[in-house]
Amino acid sequence: MSLEIRREFNAEERRWDMVLTGEVDISNAAQLRGELNKMLEEKAAPATIDIKDLSYIDSTGLGVIIGAYERMKEHGYAMKMVNPAKNVEKLLKITSLDRIFL
Amino acid sequence: MADVLKFSVPGKPEYVSTVRMMISSLANTAGFDVEAIEDMKVAVSEACTNVVCHGFSEMGYYEVSCEVNEELIRITVTDQGEGCDLNQYRCPDLDCPKEGGLGLFIIQTLMDDVDISSELGKGTQIQMVKYCRK
Repeated sequence: MSLEIRREFNAEERRWDMVLTGEVDISNAAQLRGELNKMLEEKAAPATIDIKDLSYIDSTGLGVIIGAYERMKEHGYAMKMVNPAKNVEKLLKITSLDRIFL
Repeated sequence: MADVLKFSVPGKPEYVSTVRMMISSLANTAGFDVEAIEDMKVAVSEACTNVVCHGFSEMGYYEVSCEVNEELIRITVTDQGEGCDLNQYRCPDLDCPKEGGLGLFIIQTLMDDVDISSELGKGTQIQMVKYCRK
């Protein structure tokens, strides 16, 4: 199972744009945590995560994103997820995380 | 008459996706729709993740058993690890999300019937059922 993480700072919008491709579960949630940490260390700014090609995420992956969101909130920045697949959107809805991230 | 499949799985993170793929294939063969298959994939992964994260103090194996008939799939995830006190379990506060604690809530939301039993020092069993709506 693989996860590809791409990110770049969008200077025009003054925010991070991150793209997740593949699946996130307990086997690679640490990879996502590491990348989110690095991103926030490099520059504190709002972030948009494109999850169009994220085919699966579980509670460990959601936990990592919640953790990053909490740290960003302390700095007054927002984090959003865009273009979720139907199954991922369902998971965000049942956990009420859609109210924060979508 | 139900068919029963049993798998013994090492309690390592890299095998959770293997169990997920197995359940997906089984549910597809049994005629479940795409949404129900996705629900089962997530639920079984959460149960396995629970074992891998909390089940063992040392590496051990856990069992995933699937009973399939025309009406349902019953998936049972059993470990003989540390166990836990279910009275300590609190439903997550969805207005105040935290990094952990969503797994059991997700299982209970996505599956039709869920039964969880655990005994300290003996292990945990999560049994979950999805009914086929053809």
